[in-house]
Amino acid sequence: MWGALKSSRTARLWPILYWLPTGIVFASHWFELKAITGRSMQPTLNPNSSLWRDIGLFRRDVDIDAKYSREDIVTLRSPENHERLLIKRIVAKEGDTVRTLPPYPDAEVVIPKNHVWVEGDEHFWSDDSNRFGPISECLVESRLVMVVWPLSRFGAPNSKPTQSDKEYLAQTHKEQVRCSRVKQAKQPHSTQESSAESDSTWIPVYIRTLFECA
Amino acid sequence: MLPTFATSGEIILEDRFSIRHLRAPLVRGDLLVVESPLQRGQMVCKRLLGLPGDVICVDPTGERSPSTEHVKVPEGHVWISGDNAEWSRDSRDYGPVPIALVKGRIVARVWPPHKFTLYPSGSGVNFLT
Repeated sequence: MWGALKSSRTARLWPILYWLPTGIVFASHWFELKAITGRSMQPTLNPNSSLWRDIGLFRRDVDIDAKYSREDIVTLRSPENHERLLIKRIVAKEGDTVRTLPPYPDAEVVIPKNHVWVEGDEHFWSDDSNRFGPISECLVESRLVMVVWPLSRFGAPNSKPTQSDKEYLAQTHKEQVRCSRVKQAKQPHSTQESSAESDSTWIPVYIRTLFECA
Repeated sequence: MLPTFATSGEIILEDRFSIRHLRAPLVRGDLLVVESPLQRGQMVCKRLLGLPGDVICVDPTGERSPSTEHVKVPEGHVWISGDNAEWSRDSRDYGPVPIALVKGRIVARVWPPHKFTLYPSGSGVNFLT
């Protein structure tokens, strides 16, 4: 009897073992579900009115040529600690001019080649490019496709029909302020201007501040 | 990386597991495979020169960078450099690199067979001094 039980248990285990590698590859290369913690993306994600932590569906880009665009919500490895995964919004891309917010030493910054400017929606709670400067695009890992939990906000992150009016207003106001701070590059890719720009040496902000201190 | 590796025709063994999953420490002088911060998806092989907190002379020759002053490598970053300094595009151009871009460490050269070499972690220090 025990033998029969054991064999039925292992029989149930086999399909799991069989599909496990497929699952791992799928999650590490295409889509994965992740719970979002922290307040840095309020009110878009984890709003105060929500009792749950949001769970999002993220798409990792296997395709190297896949480009992230402005206003995308992405996960990225923190440039200060590679074990931390941050979730931020891409505010500006290469060639754009951004008016920065307080902790950053310069008033305006032009984003260098293959770098992006990321910010949390809630500036007060967010450690973002205003602190560590533009980051290399290679640090970006995946893009938020949709929120899957809580069900009341199920759907793409920028569609907001189910939110309360107050949150909706706060969100649109933030979007307007954010967009007004960015001057987009005229022709983002493959122009003579941008290639000339990429040739010039660029020093990251943390080195520059060190130069100034020295 | 010229005196260490030829420009073509060599096959190396890369350890992509221990740094990322076993938290193996990075050691100065190790040969690292790094994703270039200037080009997504492009892997480059460089030697690790400085760990977080180290003070590094940006460019001892003073040809590349606008200053010969020393910088402190910030937290979570490393300073990498090619062995063939004249032809290498490395931290002297783009500054310290986030550790998240370090994808692996070169363990051995396996091809051609008569040039088989092991690169144990820490052995590259001799190259630096």
